[in-house]
Amino acid sequence: MATRTRLPLQSLVSKNLPAFRNQRCLVHTEAMAKEPVYPPVIPSLTAKSKSARLRQIQEQVSKIRAAPVQDKLSLITRIQRKKFVVHPQTFARNADRWYQHFTKTAYIPGLPDKFTVVPEKSEEESSSAVAAPNALPWIEDEAFQDIRSLVIQAILQEHWHMKKRRAFLYREQEHNVGPFLRNLVSGLTHSLGKYNPLLLLSSIDLDPQVNFYWRRGQTTVIKGHRKGRLEPIRFQIDDHPHSQIRITQQLPLFTSVEASYAAEVPEIKFSPSVMPLFRRQYDNNIFTGAKLPDPACYGHTQFHLVPDRCHRDKMARRQQSDQIEAFLRANALASLFTWTGAQAMYQGFWNHEDITRPFVSQAVITDGHFFSFFCYQLNTVALSVETDVDNPRKNLLWGTESMRLYESVQDGEVVGLKDNVIQLLVQFLMNRP
Amino acid sequence: MATRRLIYPIYQIGNPQLRIFRPSWFLTLVRPGKELPPDIVQFRVPMVMTKCDVKNYLEKIYNVPVGAVRTRIQFGSNKKRNHLNQKVKQPDYKVAYVQLAQGQTFTMPDIFPEKDSKPAEGSVEEMQQKFMEDEKQRQKPDPRRGGVTEWFGL
Repeated sequence: MATRTRLPLQSLVSKNLPAFRNQRCLVHTEAMAKEPVYPPVIPSLTAKSKSARLRQIQEQVSKIRAAPVQDKLSLITRIQRKKFVVHPQTFARNADRWYQHFTKTAYIPGLPDKFTVVPEKSEEESSSAVAAPNALPWIEDEAFQDIRSLVIQAILQEHWHMKKRRAFLYREQEHNVGPFLRNLVSGLTHSLGKYNPLLLLSSIDLDPQVNFYWRRGQTTVIKGHRKGRLEPIRFQIDDHPHSQIRITQQLPLFTSVEASYAAEVPEIKFSPSVMPLFRRQYDNNIFTGAKLPDPACYGHTQFHLVPDRCHRDKMARRQQSDQIEAFLRANALASLFTWTGAQAMYQGFWNHEDITRPFVSQAVITDGHFFSFFCYQLNTVALSVETDVDNPRKNLLWGTESMRLYESVQDGEVVGLKDNVIQLLVQFLMNRP
Repeated sequence: MATRRLIYPIYQIGNPQLRIFRPSWFLTLVRPGKELPPDIVQFRVPMVMTKCDVKNYLEKIYNVPVGAVRTRIQFGSNKKRNHLNQKVKQPDYKVAYVQLAQGQTFTMPDIFPEKDSKPAEGSVEEMQQKFMEDEKQRQKPDPRRGGVTEWFGL
């Protein structure tokens, strides 16, 4: 009889178990390498739940990200809802602080270092933008004298040579100063074209339309079937500057984006309706002044006219002289934010895709005698609640006080023409990358 | 009696400035129902006053620098009914929001502060208060029962 040899357990254990062990391990790793049998666990899209709402928003955001620029704009501005209509030229008091809060802008008095405000005494120009091809020393340069005579001609044409009737009620600025500013802008742009080649390819718009739509902050809905729910606050600006210059290349930035982290933006915890600001519902527009395919899609300078209501003399009669500067700042802030924001949107940057390079524009606000100069740098367009949580960037506005250009016109001569204002105008228009 | 005409004569160029001496209008400063910025003061004004009237009133009589005035009329409810089921109208009133100029601010003072004054020592009020506190203490259930009622049990 064959004796069944009892194999020692040890040999069995030592030999076979390692094989078994390997096989089991192999089975496990293969399972990991294969596709999961069940789909990923994500919230539903159509359920009546908060996570479903979040997923819907996510889907919308990714859809907008993937779309081309034209479709991006239409998707962002598709749905009409009640929004605050912000007027750049407003009668409200201390509007500049409110607008700074709405647009996350910090105000820096004075102009950036690029522009030097040359005082009356003769001093060398230190602006790098004006350096080439010929630096403009303050006295006795042919080009500057040409420009000076151009300005004098524009003033005399409107106020001396042309006989104007008294304007209708509240139309004085449009009647007297509007044409002068138009002549000035077009004359200066065309004569400085030989020194700044950018201006040769620029486009001057007369009475353009500039619109922007954005969301900032949150409130609770007070009345209605959505009572108690949080809702973003929507704003729309529809601006009509007197004229603007659009160029084909982007202007260089004034300071780096990181420098804006330290700037202070006033925080206002009251609802915008206290300002007073009113809500309406209509088409959401985002427009720079020209449609999307236009090659001159970047902004250079805007020119604004102070309306009759906020004219210096009328404010002084109402004892509100301190509000004049606030009005100018608010006007510059709102108008330039609108323009730069629209430029950024045209390049495809929006709330969830913040801008990679800052957009820069300039503005000149005047009422015929007094000129104020403003520069704006847009560093961020992500202003809504979701995207503003850890966004240290702030937009920056530089601005001057109002400076008098000339005293009056007497006997065919302009009395008291100040050259520093003309200098600044020229520097502004000569700004180029 | 009102010291002004009920219907003003229409203004024609060359007329003297309309002046009102000793007006019989009275403004009431009220605490706003919702939080307002510090430079806004809320008044209840007579229905017949306009924004210009409010501005001139405050500037000329009280020397308050006024920046802007905004008004609205508050409808007094006509919904409540009395014991005869007649509708009872609460009067309408005009509210003026006055924005102060020259950077001035105004905060409404606390007119009804909380009073926890202790009554004087050895007085009747102090004994009464102590008695009331003892009574309340006696009424409270046994804390060792942990909130369980005393209807049942030993």
